[in-house]
Amino acid sequence: MFVARSIAADHKDLIHDVSYDFHGRRMATCSSDQSVKVWDKSENGEWHCTASWKTHSGSVWRVTWAHPEFGQVLASCSFDRTAAVWEEIVGESNDKQRGLSHWIKRTTLVDSRTSVTDVKFAPKHMGLMLTTCSADGVVRIYEAPDVMNLSQWSLQHEISCKLSCSCISWNPSSSRAHPPMFAVGSDDSNVTYGGKVQIYEYNENTRKYAKAETLMTVTDAVHDIAFAPNLGRSFHVLAIATKDVRIFKLVPMRKESTSAGPTKFEVQIVAQFDNHNSQVWRVSWNITSTLLASSGDDGCVRLWKANYMDNWKCTGILKGDGSPLTSSSGQPTAMSTVVGSSVQTSQNALNGMSAGRYFFPPLDPPRAGTMYGHLLPPSSLIEHCDAEPIQPQQQALPRRHSSRALLPLPEAEGQ
Amino acid sequence: MSGSKPDILWSPHHPDRYVICDSELGLYRIGPVGSSAETKAGTLPLSEETAATLLAINSDTPYMKCVAWYPKHEPECLLAVGQANGRVVLTSLGQSHNSTCKELVGKEFVPKHARQCNTLAWNPVDSNLLAAGLDKHRADFSVLIWDISSKFSPEASVASEKIRLSSVDLDSSTVVTKPLYELGQNDACLSLCWLLRDPKLLLAGMHRNLAIFDLRNTSQKTFVNTKAIQGVTVDPHFHDRVASFFEGQVAIWDLRKFEKPVLTLTEQPKPLTKVAWCPTRTGLLATLTRDSNIIRLYDMQHTPTPIGDETEPTIIERSVQPCESQIGSFAWHPSSQNRMVVVSAANRVMTDFTVFERISLAWSSTTSLMWACGRHLYDCVEDGAESVESVIEKDIATKMRQRAQSRYGHDTVQVWRNHLLAGGNDPQLKSLWYDLFYILFVDDQCAEDMELKLQGNKQSVVYSGIKNIVKTSSGTTESRRCWSGSDRQTDVPRYLSEERSLALRLCGWISRGPDIDVEIFLRTLEQEREWERAAAVALFNLDIRRAIQILNKGATAEKGDLNLNVVAMALSGYTDEKSSLWREMCSSLRLQLKNPYLCVMFAFLTSEPGAYDGVLYESSVAVRDRVAFACMFLSDAQLPRYIDKLTNEMKEAGNLEGILLTGLTKDGVDLMESYVDRTGDVQTASFCMLKGSPGDVLKDPRVQCWIENYRNLLDAWRFWHKRAEFDIHRGKLDPSSKPLAQVFVSCNFCGKSISYSCSAMPHQGRGFSQYGVSGSPTKSKVTSCPGCRKPLPRCALCLMNMGTPVSNCPGTGKSDEKVDLTRENKLAQFNNWFTWCHNCRHGGHAGHMLSWFRDHTECPVSACTCKCMQLDTTGNLVPSDSS
Repeated sequence: MFVARSIAADHKDLIHDVSYDFHGRRMATCSSDQSVKVWDKSENGEWHCTASWKTHSGSVWRVTWAHPEFGQVLASCSFDRTAAVWEEIVGESNDKQRGLSHWIKRTTLVDSRTSVTDVKFAPKHMGLMLTTCSADGVVRIYEAPDVMNLSQWSLQHEISCKLSCSCISWNPSSSRAHPPMFAVGSDDSNVTYGGKVQIYEYNENTRKYAKAETLMTVTDAVHDIAFAPNLGRSFHVLAIATKDVRIFKLVPMRKESTSAGPTKFEVQIVAQFDNHNSQVWRVSWNITSTLLASSGDDGCVRLWKANYMDNWKCTGILKGDGSPLTSSSGQPTAMSTVVGSSVQTSQNALNGMSAGRYFFPPLDPPRAGTMYGHLLPPSSLIEHCDAEPIQPQQQALPRRHSSRALLPLPEAEGQ
Repeated sequence: MSGSKPDILWSPHHPDRYVICDSELGLYRIGPVGSSAETKAGTLPLSEETAATLLAINSDTPYMKCVAWYPKHEPECLLAVGQANGRVVLTSLGQSHNSTCKELVGKEFVPKHARQCNTLAWNPVDSNLLAAGLDKHRADFSVLIWDISSKFSPEASVASEKIRLSSVDLDSSTVVTKPLYELGQNDACLSLCWLLRDPKLLLAGMHRNLAIFDLRNTSQKTFVNTKAIQGVTVDPHFHDRVASFFEGQVAIWDLRKFEKPVLTLTEQPKPLTKVAWCPTRTGLLATLTRDSNIIRLYDMQHTPTPIGDETEPTIIERSVQPCESQIGSFAWHPSSQNRMVVVSAANRVMTDFTVFERISLAWSSTTSLMWACGRHLYDCVEDGAESVESVIEKDIATKMRQRAQSRYGHDTVQVWRNHLLAGGNDPQLKSLWYDLFYILFVDDQCAEDMELKLQGNKQSVVYSGIKNIVKTSSGTTESRRCWSGSDRQTDVPRYLSEERSLALRLCGWISRGPDIDVEIFLRTLEQEREWERAAAVALFNLDIRRAIQILNKGATAEKGDLNLNVVAMALSGYTDEKSSLWREMCSSLRLQLKNPYLCVMFAFLTSEPGAYDGVLYESSVAVRDRVAFACMFLSDAQLPRYIDKLTNEMKEAGNLEGILLTGLTKDGVDLMESYVDRTGDVQTASFCMLKGSPGDVLKDPRVQCWIENYRNLLDAWRFWHKRAEFDIHRGKLDPSSKPLAQVFVSCNFCGKSISYSCSAMPHQGRGFSQYGVSGSPTKSKVTSCPGCRKPLPRCALCLMNMGTPVSNCPGTGKSDEKVDLTRENKLAQFNNWFTWCHNCRHGGHAGHMLSWFRDHTECPVSACTCKCMQLDTTGNLVPSDSS
């Protein structure tokens, strides 16, 4: 089960991106306040902001970490038409003891004439490479030929996608059987322009990236795109945030070694969910690509998981602002009638046992005397996804108090 | 507003009150839904948490066209209503009829010529001023500014007017006909708003232009010709920014550069009905089109760019759908962030709705989810508390982490135990590790008794799985055995060959030896309380009596199933007569048996010899048992066909039980591939395939890929010790994976390697050993270069040459292996290591350096400001698996 807790982010405007480093011990956030913050996780699991600095002269859309073998390196991109590479250095004073670190700008990539909407490092086995995409529809691939000198980046490829780009994702597979590949999504909302997700693959012979596939079925604006960690699988999985959550499977067709040209893929749609009932904003895979998290304009974070039959299913809903998520049916009268019903309780226990629900086992009320009673999460943050009548146990919890106490109200802040 | 089309106004001072106006005015109070236990009549649910209560209704003013709420605290609930005939009436809602209010309520402001009143706007500072925008009437003025404190002035009213008025109004003292200002002659006014930067300025959307009137000089006006003249509204956060619209197009104006709109928002197919700035966030504009159920939001990011001076704001466009039905109107909550109330076009259905900030999210490598919503961060971690359900259905990432910590895969002696290390609740893993166990076990035995003459490399045969073993089967003998414990001759043929008995051994049914003896296996099964399976195995060995005995035992055992006795009874009635009632009943009723083994027992007894589909295709029976059965009872023609079919089935499904059939061959890799495709469990795949060495499977790029992925996972989890252990394990089984030496240190003077034990220079090594101080012949100290005899660098702290032991540590110097190395001792050994900083290349004994950096940040060498200990951030991370 998952428990959410709030962290005082102290950004002065909207946070646009969160990014973990390879080990999950560091985190970077970026915001419309034009700054990037770096957070370190202490031994007791608390996050501490160890650096915060102004990075751009516009909203910072995305921030991303390089693999730690290249050092502590971040890249950010902004509305100010630039992307920047940052490296942590050892400060002049003993800031490290005070829990602060210094980041210096190694380079500014100024090739774009429009807002740079996404920035991603290529998988580590390709070396230190950085990709940007911009609102004018150009994907740029930079390489640092000398990993010791991060101030030198050469523009290796410039790929025009013809459509305003909003997001980019590298295929993380390190298998030699899979040539370097990335997918780029467009937030152009004109459905007549055709597929909004394009997949490019590196061709060893021409030393260029060529379009391998366009997902023609995705015609609405795409806000985020994410290749799943490959983990030795023979196919690639791509999650797309558009007007719904979509999961595509790209199965490379076995091709003769002689044939040049891009790999052909068999594109299968594995899942399509409109549960957000609105535009889906972000998608993210866990490390084994067995769990997908998505966020939508409904203000909810949803978790998806596949069962052994490759059937994807919602396994949890968490409300984005931490406020209690009540049943969508919203029947206050129904709730009071089932309180104390033992039949209902046993039903829930059964439901919890069923497959695909393991994330959020039925929340029994903290019984007096049980030692784990106080450890229960604010149940309000978590709900079984099927729209059942609200479980009576949850009602028994003083949930409004517990959850509110955790989360400062947004109004409390100055504009 | 037409009479039917509703509109909403929030009270400027009560964050919980708003007015809906359609044909009448309704004042509502919004509150949490659960605040009162009993659901009051008239409470309307607005959302899951909030509900509205109707406080007051005012239907005194018919033909309402527009409404404006008095901006001051007192009197509250004072509203100006503009009517279809151009009159503006002050009216009130609610109970508070205090003195000031009483004076004002009911006051009417009447224009000279009757025509529709389009818009009303209270001056935000001088709240006595109320501007009204009217339709055109010949050359008359269309913008009238009324002073609500003015008294009725009889001399101003024309006689004909008076007649008209008196017919309606009994108390004519409340009627005002003389406006304070008259503006916009010979024009129509469609929208109005007071400018916040100067309360003397009024912005009006006239017929074909936007005009700014200055009350200090009414003869002049600033104007710009445009079509976008409807719904003018000032951004409350940026007083020079104004929005207006026309048809489906929104224009954003900067009053400082009033010549043309700074921005035109994408045109909508349908005409807009309302445009409103969010009062709680800068640059957020909400728009609504006719007959639509979505509200479009424009987030204006106003940022100067380094290139050029043109500051063109970017727009993040969003659509939200507050409710299913078509929206009549909406209103932002004045203080609650991003909140609005929406009223439907029909039936006055209201919805309380909050526009959520877009959430960005990320998973960490350790399955915790972080998301950012607005300006807040939320860390969502998997709860450590384990319940029964969660153990079964944990995500594979969590499973692999737990298994790595329980040293899963590392038991190389009792290989089958690995499934217990994996948690012991996955039947496929259990089957896999038993398969591997039997493969290794049988392989060992084969190595021992070489008389078992198998063609080719014996390793490859055992490892190549039953599929390949039975293919090579030759010299099969057919035998017809009696039912033991009965003298009846059975007509069931059984097949025997060396390969078949090898297969049976791989299935774990029999152990080494020429006989087919399952007794040991049966006893194990009995111990495991697998009564049904044991009985089935006994029966397949044509030992009905033993089968019955096992079932009896099962029934009488603790917590035994008494039904087993019934089964035993049925079994004892076995007859091989083709048309007996027993046979007929058993073959039909067996399908109702829940236990698959009981089911196949009767399937076996009732089927014709050679036609055992009821047994062979019962998928809930373990593959191992089905294969063993097939090896006993299928002919040389049938057996390979069945095994091939089953293998393909297993491969397709990625079922690890099939490893028994495929062995650790390319087929096995194919099977494992579909298992990995399905589960992502590279851990099992890596460990399993490592068992296949020395063999070709390890060279398969897919296997290498799994191993790399698994190592990468361990690294990401900071299970570095586990990764190192895995590498050691892998190095043992696959010598080709041994890494090369990572570093070699060369002498400053001669450039040769100083490593004493380096096999490349044995002579220097031996020559050097004479200089060694230590008496131990095996472990010499190295204090100078073995090549040129020049002294090695000194420790920056103790100034001793590299290679000298740390003097102040007891237990150092004595490097003989006999000393029991306690943990401290191990560390003391480490203190002797010579270390250096890669940046400044100063160094010393590890122990000395560590104690130096405990108190200092800079390098101990004079004039070196290198912060050696802080250089490597990853080095500061602790492995999360250190015990």
